[in-house]
Amino acid sequence: MPQIPGIFRSMLKKNLYIIIFFLTLSPVMVSAQQPSVYQVTRMSFSSGPYSEISPVMVNDGVIFCSDRRTTGIRSRTTFEDKRLYNIFIIERRDTSDWRKPVEIKSERSFLFNNGPLCLAPDGRTVYFTSEVETGKVTKKKNFVNHSGIFITDLSGTTLSSMRPFQYNNTQYEVGHPSVSSDGKYLFFASDMPGGQGGSDLYYCEWINGQWSTPVNLGPKVNSSASENYPFMHPSGRLYFSSNRPGGKGRLDVYYTMLTMGSWDTPSLLPEPINSPSDDFAFVADDNLQTGYFSSNRGSSDDIYNFASTIIRKSSCETLVPNNYCYEFLEENAVKWDTLPFRYEWKFGDGDRGIGATVEHCYMGPGQYLIQLDVVNLITKEVMYNEKTYNLLVTDVEQPYISCPDQGAVGQRMRFSADSTNLPGWNIDRYYWNFGDETIAIGKEVDKTYLRPGTYNIQLIVSTVPEPGGVVREACVCKNIIIIR
Amino acid sequence: MKFDKKIYTLILSLCLSWLFMAPRLLGQPVPGKDENITFLVTFGKLGETSWGDDDFYQVWFFAIPRDFTQQFYIRIFDPDTGGEHDEIQGEFNTRSLFSVYGGQGVDPDRNEDSKGLHNGLNYKGGNLLASRVFGGEPRYDNKYFTFGPFNPAAGDFNSKWGYIFKIVCEGISGDDGNLYRYYLSRDPENNIPIEGANAFTYEYTFRMWNDFKSVAHIYPYIDTGVIYIRLRDFDWDNDGHILVVSRYKQGIDAPISNEDDWAESRIAIEPPEVGSSLDFQFHKRQGELVKNNNVVVTLENQRGDALQFFSSPIGGVPVYQASIVVRKVKPK
Repeated sequence: MPQIPGIFRSMLKKNLYIIIFFLTLSPVMVSAQQPSVYQVTRMSFSSGPYSEISPVMVNDGVIFCSDRRTTGIRSRTTFEDKRLYNIFIIERRDTSDWRKPVEIKSERSFLFNNGPLCLAPDGRTVYFTSEVETGKVTKKKNFVNHSGIFITDLSGTTLSSMRPFQYNNTQYEVGHPSVSSDGKYLFFASDMPGGQGGSDLYYCEWINGQWSTPVNLGPKVNSSASENYPFMHPSGRLYFSSNRPGGKGRLDVYYTMLTMGSWDTPSLLPEPINSPSDDFAFVADDNLQTGYFSSNRGSSDDIYNFASTIIRKSSCETLVPNNYCYEFLEENAVKWDTLPFRYEWKFGDGDRGIGATVEHCYMGPGQYLIQLDVVNLITKEVMYNEKTYNLLVTDVEQPYISCPDQGAVGQRMRFSADSTNLPGWNIDRYYWNFGDETIAIGKEVDKTYLRPGTYNIQLIVSTVPEPGGVVREACVCKNIIIIR
Repeated sequence: MKFDKKIYTLILSLCLSWLFMAPRLLGQPVPGKDENITFLVTFGKLGETSWGDDDFYQVWFFAIPRDFTQQFYIRIFDPDTGGEHDEIQGEFNTRSLFSVYGGQGVDPDRNEDSKGLHNGLNYKGGNLLASRVFGGEPRYDNKYFTFGPFNPAAGDFNSKWGYIFKIVCEGISGDDGNLYRYYLSRDPENNIPIEGANAFTYEYTFRMWNDFKSVAHIYPYIDTGVIYIRLRDFDWDNDGHILVVSRYKQGIDAPISNEDDWAESRIAIEPPEVGSSLDFQFHKRQGELVKNNNVVVTLENQRGDALQFFSSPIGGVPVYQASIVVRKVKPK
């Protein structure tokens, strides 16, 4: 089991019957699944009898929490005889092997639980979970110490200058910090009063040099069960774990996204990331192609690596709608308020306009000859074709997603790349990422969404290998809204 | 048959060569050929300003290129007042004095008075080289009188324009309108142009066309430093429109004056227009024809300095160049 202190753990126990109920359903659900888009591997540095949880991705390694022994002489435990969690870092030796984990020490090491944690965008400020009380009172056997967040500076393998998060409280749990990639928001879990039940997710905003009052993410994200282990991905997806009904069993990983000021209904990550066991503390790289999570699907809590077979680009241009509307103006004429001339435009598609400045929208791409006739209102002379202009109207050079902007749950929708305009590209593959962990391949594909929300669709096109083996690739994305 | 063909070819060749030669034979006329103005006008000093002459004299300058060293002539077409062309008031009784000046004091860049813009000032600056008074003289009616020969070196040298000569026409008596034209020529009997020569004035008094369709033009030169121009016109009798045209202006409709009245308009100059000529087009009012309309035009820059009208536009006749700009806009 992951380290879920106090009330968190009791919440899980209360919902055990729900978990058992869903476990009985799981074979049916699995049989309905498509082949998985994730491959998971238990990390070699996960020790057998001890727990490794809450990975944090760093440059060339992973920081994680573990209750493993670091010395053969003495094993630190709590009064409940639970081993204390401490923070470790492990670096890659090469692409397939890891060095030995090294403990990241602080004044709290081996005295209190340390972790889970996160790194701020500056790469040196660490937010980590520990216990609030440190005085004599903590030595009393029946004392219940609550968790809180502590902020400290990481230098090498040492944490120093520890300061408590201002919203820590001795009456409830505060923990599992995650700072957004822009450093402006801190997400965390807490069972503070006023929540939706169990542990809920909250966020604070960094305003004028301090964290604002915590805000509950609301009933769309938080349930009457427990939500914890938030991870704010740079894409804006908020991953978290919950033992709410409807998952694969016990703790499962979900994600949600803030769309136009409100959080989408959370989506469940598919198997094998989620399993009938506890699956939690999900982290991923910027492309969502690889990452780590914790699970007790083995004999103990271990860290697993996942690799997505889904292609999702971290850098993908937003679709620019094709626009065939133009303003035409006689540059010198518009400088003067009144001129004794009338400007008559022929737009080359049969339409006409009158004025020194006119606007016209074409039906589509093409080459149009703009002709400007000028009537001298004094002499009544008409100067035909005073000026002409060859206008080439083209589509934007990009892959093109043609689909409705909005759809409904269960509605079969057509997605087409027919209007793709990439001159000179011999396109071999049209790859659709529908933003709900599903994909399709083809120039025209159908898709049915099963849950409401806002989905970011990516269309990735690639060419046949060109001379020299170069494959050109382009990506556009577009948001669509699925309503219930 | 062969003989007929030769005659035909010869006639055709003569016609073609006349066509090509014709503009040259016109000499440096004032008004210029591009101006499409029939006559300059100067009234006798007893005339009324409401007849279209505000000051009863007119000053023109001829610029002879510095590399031209031969003698030249200034010819006046129809210098008398009487007979054809001229405007009679009662009976012809007008005498006009034509005077040619050279030497120091002529150059208007160095002698502001020489421009002849302000009545009573010394617009006769320079050395009097020749003069003659014309009354009603059938001998010169609808014919030429020739001043000269003049030596270019007798002019007032201006580094920009060459040797400057001045010719002044004054209505010294009477009240009729003398309508005349000038020609700068290398020959006393024919109009043979001097290559590179030009003529200019600071106040243009001329006769408008007596038909609806003909459009007169004058071509002011926009010198360095001009930001805007102040166009003043006199006694237009509300006869149509003045359109100000350049490569960048299709036709600014400048206000025109009424009977015995001045009108003024201010027109911005764009940087690319500096160093080129504008085209002031004078379009007659449609409807009831205003006949024998004589008008006056002057031009100043923003500092109040008078600008020149050249009979042969510097840089050629400006032709408006329409410019289409196309830009994408959001669909409405």
